[in-house]
Amino acid sequence: MSKPDLFRSVLAVAACKAARGLLRLRGSGGTAAPGKVAMFFAKNILERTSAGMDIIVVTGTNGKTTTCRMLEHAVTQAGYPCLANKSGANLLSGVTAEISCNADWLGRPKTKHAVIECDEGALKQVVPLIHPKVIVVTNLFRDQLDRYGEITHTRDAIRTGIEKVPESILCLNADDSLVASLAENVPNKVVWYGCNTPIGDQKEPEVSDAKYCIHCGAPYRYHYHTYAHLGDFYCPSCGYHRHEPEVAVTKVEEMSASGTAARILAGGEEAKVTIGLPAVYNLYNAVAAIAAGMAYGLDRNGIYASLKDVHSSFGRMETFRTGAVTTQMILVKNPAGCNQALSYVAAMQEDLAAVFCLNDRTADGHDISWIWDADYEMLMKAPHLAKIYVSGDRAEDMQLRLKYAGADPAKITILRGDEKILEMAKASTLPVFILPNYTSMLSLRKVFSDATGGSDFWK
Amino acid sequence: MELGICHLYPEALNLYGDRGNILCMKKRLEWRGIDVTVDGCDIGEKRDLTKYDLFFIGGGQDFEQEVLLSDLASGKADAIRSAVEDGKTFLTICGGYQMMGHYYETFDGTKCEFLGAVDLYTVGSKTRMIDNYAYEVDNAGEKIMVVGFENHSGKTYLGAGVSPLGKVLAGNGNNGEDGTEGVRYKNVFGTYSHGPLLPKNPKLCDLILQTALVRKYGSCTLEPLPDDFENLAHDSVLEKVLNHTIA
Ligand SMILES: [Zn+2]
Repeated sequence: MSKPDLFRSVLAVAACKAARGLLRLRGSGGTAAPGKVAMFFAKNILERTSAGMDIIVVTGTNGKTTTCRMLEHAVTQAGYPCLANKSGANLLSGVTAEISCNADWLGRPKTKHAVIECDEGALKQVVPLIHPKVIVVTNLFRDQLDRYGEITHTRDAIRTGIEKVPESILCLNADDSLVASLAENVPNKVVWYGCNTPIGDQKEPEVSDAKYCIHCGAPYRYHYHTYAHLGDFYCPSCGYHRHEPEVAVTKVEEMSASGTAARILAGGEEAKVTIGLPAVYNLYNAVAAIAAGMAYGLDRNGIYASLKDVHSSFGRMETFRTGAVTTQMILVKNPAGCNQALSYVAAMQEDLAAVFCLNDRTADGHDISWIWDADYEMLMKAPHLAKIYVSGDRAEDMQLRLKYAGADPAKITILRGDEKILEMAKASTLPVFILPNYTSMLSLRKVFSDATGGSDFWK
Repeated sequence: MELGICHLYPEALNLYGDRGNILCMKKRLEWRGIDVTVDGCDIGEKRDLTKYDLFFIGGGQDFEQEVLLSDLASGKADAIRSAVEDGKTFLTICGGYQMMGHYYETFDGTKCEFLGAVDLYTVGSKTRMIDNYAYEVDNAGEKIMVVGFENHSGKTYLGAGVSPLGKVLAGNGNNGEDGTEGVRYKNVFGTYSHGPLLPKNPKLCDLILQTALVRKYGSCTLEPLPDDFENLAHDSVLEKVLNHTIA
């Protein structure tokens, strides 16, 4: 590195740390801004501050954060300090901030290991700078349509990223026809994971995000579905089909609100694994984490043991103790994830209050049309849904959607602002379930953490 | 009274939220005691299209539109063109709207022949026109303000014999140049407003339903419905869109 370059990177790292310090002093998360400051001084500072690190990158529409938490926990439990971008700042600026703030004053990394969540669109900017050892792709659903255009464009954007790092090992979801196609014509080593058994609602989805063969356009057929367009797919016309996974769920033994016990095949052997999280999509996250952890070089049994005490993280599914009852918050941001959350709430046995928060800011996508594809009908029919609240920038749209889903209009109340939701939850005699989308979750979570003593998300 | 709705290509053309339009038309008929049947007609399916009163075609991904061109050519194209000339009511959106025209010329000059049922054509551009927008429909003197979400890179131009559906109040509309939005030809309604257009535009929904009922029964008056939630959703977006433009 030449002297001016060195000078710039010293400046960049110092500025990054200073910016983060200032933002934290002011009590805000400050997740992406320090990265932007660092990149101002040295555009590719990330390449220097990550040099020599062993990094796992996780991308895909749903499950990124949970899969990252599982992997971070597995790496830590194996005895290695591990860096992670916990706050969900998963664009180039956020990744730069996380890694560069951790560098020493010469810009050399202080930690060897990292698990990095990366936005699908940002992958092609991030991976050429950090040369990940492993890249995990969780799944591809329609999400934030107005930001990326169409779903095949998102797939192509990921592909562009992968083509820049032929040495990275890919961990791909074998059950997702769009994700699976990423393995074609690249030299990368691929590890496949999936479900060898029909778990989930096993329904053919009413609105599929991948109905037609990506190669020839014929409709896919399935030996079985798991959820949404995931399952054992094949194309009757050109023969494109699911790849047999090396890491797979073979049987679900027990599923409850607190966790799941399943038989998992990995390294050619089956074992019973307990995962400290409920719901089908967390099984997918677990096999993704096992496949990636093994590819990274972790011991299989160590990963299994660590999965037992992974708990919900950062609003994906989180419980707050508010007054006499609890409030559960489940992030929803697209039809596939929303349907999972709705079926979870619909399966409750007791009377409850549900809150639906919908914002349409840049990080959410300005287009909120997706709420018409989610199956709110399944919850609106449930007799134990005693009270309904709507909130957020697009509360009125949400309210209208629920009317069409069969909700009794008299049961619906609009709450303006997070404080009003907190007040309601504190006074509620019924357990509260909040289904916010991304930016509504960020602000709500802060209000609820502050009021109930939860920890701030960037810690 | 009863109305038969045909949802053309519900699988292939199903961008976000198109389902909301079908749901809306169905419910607003049922709430008034009018019988309604909705049939989907997808790629490879043969149906007698002459028995339907109202057709809905939604938006699709570029890739999937290619898939269905050959299906159109196998007979549905003729059926659709005769239904249009016969005064049947159509609501076509985004990709479905473009498909009613003569052709789509991509940015690199490739021409994709479409139905030619309505005198319009579309040219691809590099910029994507994405955001909430609003337009005004003149229904025999009554002004209907419509709010929606547009997301298209194609620019659509209307021929001499057809009228725009409305006048753009904020946003791009057909091409971002001439202030027009959508098309109205015979009983065809075409618009770029993708996804759930109808639920928060109940007046437009009723205009479309009324058009189909009048074509079938000669005359028809739709009873008013309690549209409180609908109007709240409509007005909140309209305010957002109009203020956004001023600021
Ligand atoms: Zn095929």
